Formats: sequence, C-alpha cells, structure tokens
Amino acid sequence: MHTEPQPDSPEGARLSRRTLLRTALLTGAFLATPGALAACAPATTNSVSTNKLLRVGWKSDIDTFNPLTTVTTEAVEVQSLIYDTLMAYGLDLKPEASLATAAKQDGATITYTLRDGVTWHDGTAFTADDVIYTFELIAKNELGVNAQYLVDLDTAKATDPKTVVLTFKKPQAFDPGLVVPILPKHIWGTKTPDEVSKFPNADPIGTGPFTFKERKQGQSVALSRNEKWWGTKPAAAGASWQVYTNDDLMAQALKNGEVDIIPQVPPTVFAGLKDTKDLTSVSLDSFSFHHIGFNVSADKKSKGNPLLLDKKVRQALGYALDRKQVAEIAYAGYASPGGSILMPSFGDFYWEPQGDEVIDNNPDKANALLDSAGYPMGPDGVRQASDGTPLKFRIIAIATTSTDVRTAQLFQASAAKVGIKLDLSNVDSDTMASTVYNTAGPDWDIFVWGWDSGVNDPSYMLGVPLTSQIGGNNDVFYSNPSYDALYDQQATELDRTKRIALVKQMQQMFYDDSAYLVAVYIKKLQSYKNTAWTGWTETPGGMIFNFTRDNYLKVTPKGS
Amino acid sequence: MSPLLRRFLILLASIFAIVTFNFFLFHVIPGDPLRLIARSQHLTPEAVAHLRQVYGLDGSLLEQYVVYLNNLLHGDLGYSFSLQENVSDIVGRALVNTLLLLTCSTIIVVVVGIAIGVFAGSRHGKKSDSTTVVTSLVFWSLPTFWVGMLLVFIFGVWIGGLPISGITTPNAVYPNVFGVASDVARHLILPTLTLALVDIAFFIIITRTSLVEVMGEDYMLTARGKGLPRRRLVWGHGVRNALLPVVTASVLYISALVAGAIQVEVVFSWPGMGLLTYNSVLSRDYPVLEACFLVISVAVLVANFCADVVYRRLDPRVTVTS
Repeated sequence: MHTEPQPDSPEGARLSRRTLLRTALLTGAFLATPGALAACAPATTNSVSTNKLLRVGWKSDIDTFNPLTTVTTEAVEVQSLIYDTLMAYGLDLKPEASLATAAKQDGATITYTLRDGVTWHDGTAFTADDVIYTFELIAKNELGVNAQYLVDLDTAKATDPKTVVLTFKKPQAFDPGLVVPILPKHIWGTKTPDEVSKFPNADPIGTGPFTFKERKQGQSVALSRNEKWWGTKPAAAGASWQVYTNDDLMAQALKNGEVDIIPQVPPTVFAGLKDTKDLTSVSLDSFSFHHIGFNVSADKKSKGNPLLLDKKVRQALGYALDRKQVAEIAYAGYASPGGSILMPSFGDFYWEPQGDEVIDNNPDKANALLDSAGYPMGPDGVRQASDGTPLKFRIIAIATTSTDVRTAQLFQASAAKVGIKLDLSNVDSDTMASTVYNTAGPDWDIFVWGWDSGVNDPSYMLGVPLTSQIGGNNDVFYSNPSYDALYDQQATELDRTKRIALVKQMQQMFYDDSAYLVAVYIKKLQSYKNTAWTGWTETPGGMIFNFTRDNYLKVTPKGS
Repeated sequence: MSPLLRRFLILLASIFAIVTFNFFLFHVIPGDPLRLIARSQHLTPEAVAHLRQVYGLDGSLLEQYVVYLNNLLHGDLGYSFSLQENVSDIVGRALVNTLLLLTCSTIIVVVVGIAIGVFAGSRHGKKSDSTTVVTSLVFWSLPTFWVGMLLVFIFGVWIGGLPISGITTPNAVYPNVFGVASDVARHLILPTLTLALVDIAFFIIITRTSLVEVMGEDYMLTARGKGLPRRRLVWGHGVRNALLPVVTASVLYISALVAGAIQVEVVFSWPGMGLLTYNSVLSRDYPVLEACFLVISVAVLVANFCADVVYRRLDPRVTVTS
C-alpha cells in the first residue's frame, strides 16, 4: 500500500526559519542533558586504588584460569604470575632458577633441585609430589599447550623430597621445566582427566608472586601481591588487566592514566601515542611473523593447483615479492622484511640468507627462472605451462586483518609483473582455519597468515612444517624427510653450538624450498605512562606479554 | 479451549521451533570450532578426537541435537568453547547487565517519550508540534553507534568527567554498597542516553499520532462541549484512550532491546547480551550463540504474549477469533 506523505498542518509542511531555530535549540537541550545528569549524580566517596597497582590495558579477555585448557596469550600472561614454573626466563630471555634452584641435564634425564620452604597460596606446603603429579597429568592425557614438550617423557620420579628426575625416551634440547606451570596436587588430584578438561579453575591457587583477587568476565582481572612469595617481592601491590573493546578507548585510557601500559598497541594508534607527553612508546622485535604459504600437499586428495608443487614456480614468486615494500606499505614501517622461519629475536639461532641465497625483490631473476623452467609468457601477459595451463592461482587472506589483505594485494601486483596471476578473496578467520587445515582435501592455493612462536626455543617454529604435523600445525602440508631428520637431530642435541649449526641448516633448507615466503617480522609496539612506573627493561618480544614475567616483578612506582 | 491457553500453546510450539532452527542454523555455518581450540597446540589426532568428545562435537548432527534438547530440558545450556565455563552462568551475568541498561533506557524513553508526544499532540498544528516532530525525526535517523561514538568523544575526551567504557571503574575501592551503585549509575549514563536519544522519537510519534486521532473523535467534542478544563480533557479523556498503541509499542520495544543493544554495548564495552553475542559470533562459540538466540527469541515471544494479555484487559473490544 502506498500512502502519500501528508503534512499535518500547513506550517508543518515546510520548515520555516523559526522552526529550524527551535529545532536547533531543542537539539542543544537534548545534548546538554547528560551534562546536567552528571551534575546531579550523587557525590561519591569512591576512590580508585592506584596505589602501587600495575594496570594493563588490552583488547581481549582471558579465556580461563585453567593452564591445561587455555589457548589465549592473555590467559597465559596472567597465569604466569599465579603459577611458577620450575625454571623461568629472565629479562635477557635466558633460563634461570625458579621453583627449582637448579636443573641438570644429563643425556635423557633432567634433574631438578626444588626450592625449600615454598607454600601454595592456601598455605599448604609445596612438595615434589606436586611436580610429579603435574608432569604426569599433562603427559599421560596430552593436556594443554605444553603436552607437545612431554611426548617423550618416560617417568617422573622423586629421588628424595627435594629432587625430581624426569626421564625421557631421548635427550631433550628444550627443557620443559621452563614452560610447565606447576599445579597443586591437593586441589587438582581429586579430578579425573575429563573433569580437568572442563575445570574453570575460578579461584586459582599457585605458588607464584601474585594471588588471585577478582575477575569480571569480559571486563577485568585483578591479582594481589603474594606476601609469602619465595622470591624478592615485587614493588607492585597488585596487577590488573582491563579489557577495551575499542582501540581509541584504550589509547584514551592510557592518556588519562586509567591504565599504565598497553602491551599491544595497534599501528594506527601508535603514531598518535608516540609523541604524547608522559608516554614512552617503543617498537621492539617480536616472536611473530606474517607469511605467504603455498599448498604443497602431494596428497592426491589435495585440490590445490599442482603447478605450485614445482619449487621453481614458488621461488619465482619469492623473487617477485618485495618484502621491504610490504613492511613499509602494508605495515607502515612497523615491521621488518622477513626471510627465515625463525624470527631475529631468536638471536644466535637465527639464520639470514646472504648474497645468492636471497630470494627477494628480483623480478629479472624470477622471469629468467620461469623462462628456463618452461613457463613461456602467454598472449594475455600470463605465463603458461607446457600443456597450456595458465599460471593462475587463488590467494586468500583474513578480511579483518587489513595488513594481510594489503600484503596480498602488493604480492598480486608483484606477481603480475612476472606473468603470474593471483585472484584474491577475503575470508573470516574461522573459514581460513577450516579451509587451510582441511586434511580431507585442502582446496586452496596460496594464503597470507601469521605465526607467533609460543615458546622461546626454535623447536616450536621449526616443528610447524614437519611431516608429522600434517593434520596438526603444518599449514602448507610441507613434507621433506631430510628436514624431519634434521629436526629430530637438533631436538636431542644438547651441545648448543652443534645445535645452532643444525638449526641454521634447517632454516636454509626450508627457505630454499619456498613453501613459505615469510613476508615480514612484526614489531611489537608497546606504550607506557612514564610518570607511573619506572625500571622497564625493553626485552625482544616485549616488556610484558612475553616469555618473561620479570618486568612485572621489577618495575617500581615513580618517585619511590 | 480458552483463547489464552491456546495462545500459550502456540507460544510453546514457537519456542520449540526456534530451538530446533537455532541448533541447525549454527551447526551448518562453515568452520569447525575445534580447529580454533586445537590450533597451535601440536595435538595428535587422538587428542583432537578426545577433545571432540569432551565438547560433545562427536556423533552425527541428529545425535548432537537430541543431546542438546535433553540438556536444555534439564536447564543445561552447555559448556562454552571459548570462555571455558557453563553457558548458563555466562548468559545469566550478561542478561542481568543488559536488563539494567534496558530498564533505565525503557523508562526514560517511554515516560519522556509519552510526555513529549502528548505535548506535541495536544498542540496539533502549532509550531511547537512541528518543531518536536522534526527534532525527534532528526535523532531517529542517526545511527546508534555513531551517536554513541559522538557522546564518547564529547564526554570522554572533550569535557571529560563521565566514564566511557565498562560497567564499573577499574580497580575502584568502594566504601559501601551505595558506592557500587553510584559507580554503576555513572557508567549507565552515556549508554542509556545514546539509546534514549535515538529511540525516543518512536514513542513521541506514536503517542502524538494516536492522540491527534483521539482528539478528533466525537466523544472528545462532547467532552469539550461540557466545558471540561483543558488539562482534564487532554489527560483524562484523550491520553487514556490514546495509549493503547503505545502499550504495544513499549512491549515490542523491550523485546527488541534484549538483542538490539548490540551497537551500544560494543561502543561502550558494556558486558551484556549484545557484546556477548558479538564476541561469540567471532569465536564460533555455538553453545553461547544458541543460548543468546534462545533468550532473545523467548523474550520476543513472551513479550508478545504479555502484550496480548495486557491489551485484552485494557480494551475489552479485543477478542481472539478462533
């Protein structure tokens, strides 16, 4: 049914100047209401406890206090202050004593000497039984992110009340004592493994430097200092983490002094915070990269374009890609050009391609390589294989990760210059995961995505493209027996120098195979209020939100 | 069968249909929630299969549906993948926060909206009438999130003094329970104001139109002829009869708000149903999403049912034709 708009009255039909004026006045009155409301709000005697409270602002809430089910970095961060590990990373990211005063590695066994006089937050004494219980629980039931470091664990035994010996099936280059949070047996031991898998652990009890205070789901978490902690007590009387659903609100909160530090500043906001008074903003190396991955699945069920199984095509795409351009344009300079599968933050483990090894920003070489490999240029500017199939590939990126989309677009332009056509489609993050990891028949050619190393040891990142990780983390279905063999060798090599050589050899091999084009190493952007706390140590990976919790323990309130 | 009982049975049938539809809708969305849970854990296939079992994602879709229905009848809404907690607890907390925001904004919107509507309607054709109508239409056409961002900018950045995020001040120390109440009240101001500014026009226009119509009825002419004072004429005879459509509108408004505050909740980080739904969509948390949609649908159905009942009492002319 159509109705003609009917003016209520002759005056209503047209906006006279006076009506317009009144409209404006009324609008003003509407807008003034909240001010009036605020003025009428009762005077409160509420105070905000800022006294020696270290306040962090971030964008997502923790998922759980259960260290065996958590998947978010936020939760791991908070839990690292509630639970102690046997050994811990210091501010230099080197292992140091924690619940164990010493760890001795001898072949396939690691012997930990436990600290005396440690108690749980509820007052119960900490014993070797707690350590054995934790390791056995994780290893036997494959619980949580740390289970991967205990696959070779044979037995966990106490030789005396202060000594725990872990025996593995083969030597372990990585000490799992650095990452496994020790849980109280008197609380967890009564639960079945399935109950543990669903245990929210709403009132976590650990041995760590902070005790649980309160959690408001979706909003905030707060901890208080553990006055009975075994170590040097932190100056902070408590720590809190506040969730902001909006980048600008979060930046505003830092400026207003509502929070003291933001561990992950979005690049768009960073520029604005950099020159703000009383704020120190730093750009640190991180343990994250973003990469272009090729579907190299040799499985017959794979629906990826088989032309990508030719290493020369992948290398040509590598020569086409201009990583410096990606870092400068897609990341506004808050990233450095990528290369190896290990990030430069890994220090002496990191391998950097030199001279002729470099596969980057060299369109001439890309063209020469494709010409000699039998992919002549077609009439439409797209190269063709010998059977006439054009070099056309699908590329996917997560729509909401604008840097990935921008990277894909730049890559598209670079590839077009050497006669390779890429069709870009944007997907959401969950579709990305289910498409890429579809082991039943991966139906994609190229993606843009990223990785964070979950641990400060090369084994995690190097372990991603293992044959055994197809169906697990191996996102490109890469499979190379020599690479797998080198992995096993380095994982059991206790001599650091020899291990470094093996690790570098693996990086070189994987780089040359070009199943990944690591586009950029991300910078970690952090910003803090320098009038609130001092003594921050700028560590690769971040002052906080890193493998070390020590900045929480070592910063002091300004003026004390 | 009494008409009311009949209505009630239809209500139950609708709820069942919605529960079923919700379940299948969320399970045919592409994307495997387990992939999100298991990514970057280096899990063996056995461990993934075990997780599938723990989260009730093994078995056919039909089996999962039967389990879901059975649990639902026992008040068990399931276990959240992403928040690692019972869904009923999560949804319960969010619902309380949303109801708080909703009650405040509904009261303001309905009461103030009716008052302004009566003001405009009783001055039908005058400048004050057209000014009110135009002003409210201007606000009605503004996007909710935009008004919210504007208020954040004005009161959070420019003038300051009003909290722009969350439901309480982070790390606040309260002397007593009134301290908590006043803190929450301060946090309520901007989200409530945002909803009120945008939605109030709805009630102004309805009340005004309805009143204008009633004022033209013959019995109003009679009342005027009796020489009744203007105030009694408008409020005692006009408004009383004009409020019927407003009642319907209020009930529908409340039910729509349970879901419709998403924009406001996201802008102001208000931890209610809207924000929960938004976050659950992003993390593909089926159990939470199913529960959210269940609560929202039931709210709409129950509100409609209540509207029917109230309407019948207010206006005996209304009958159900069976």
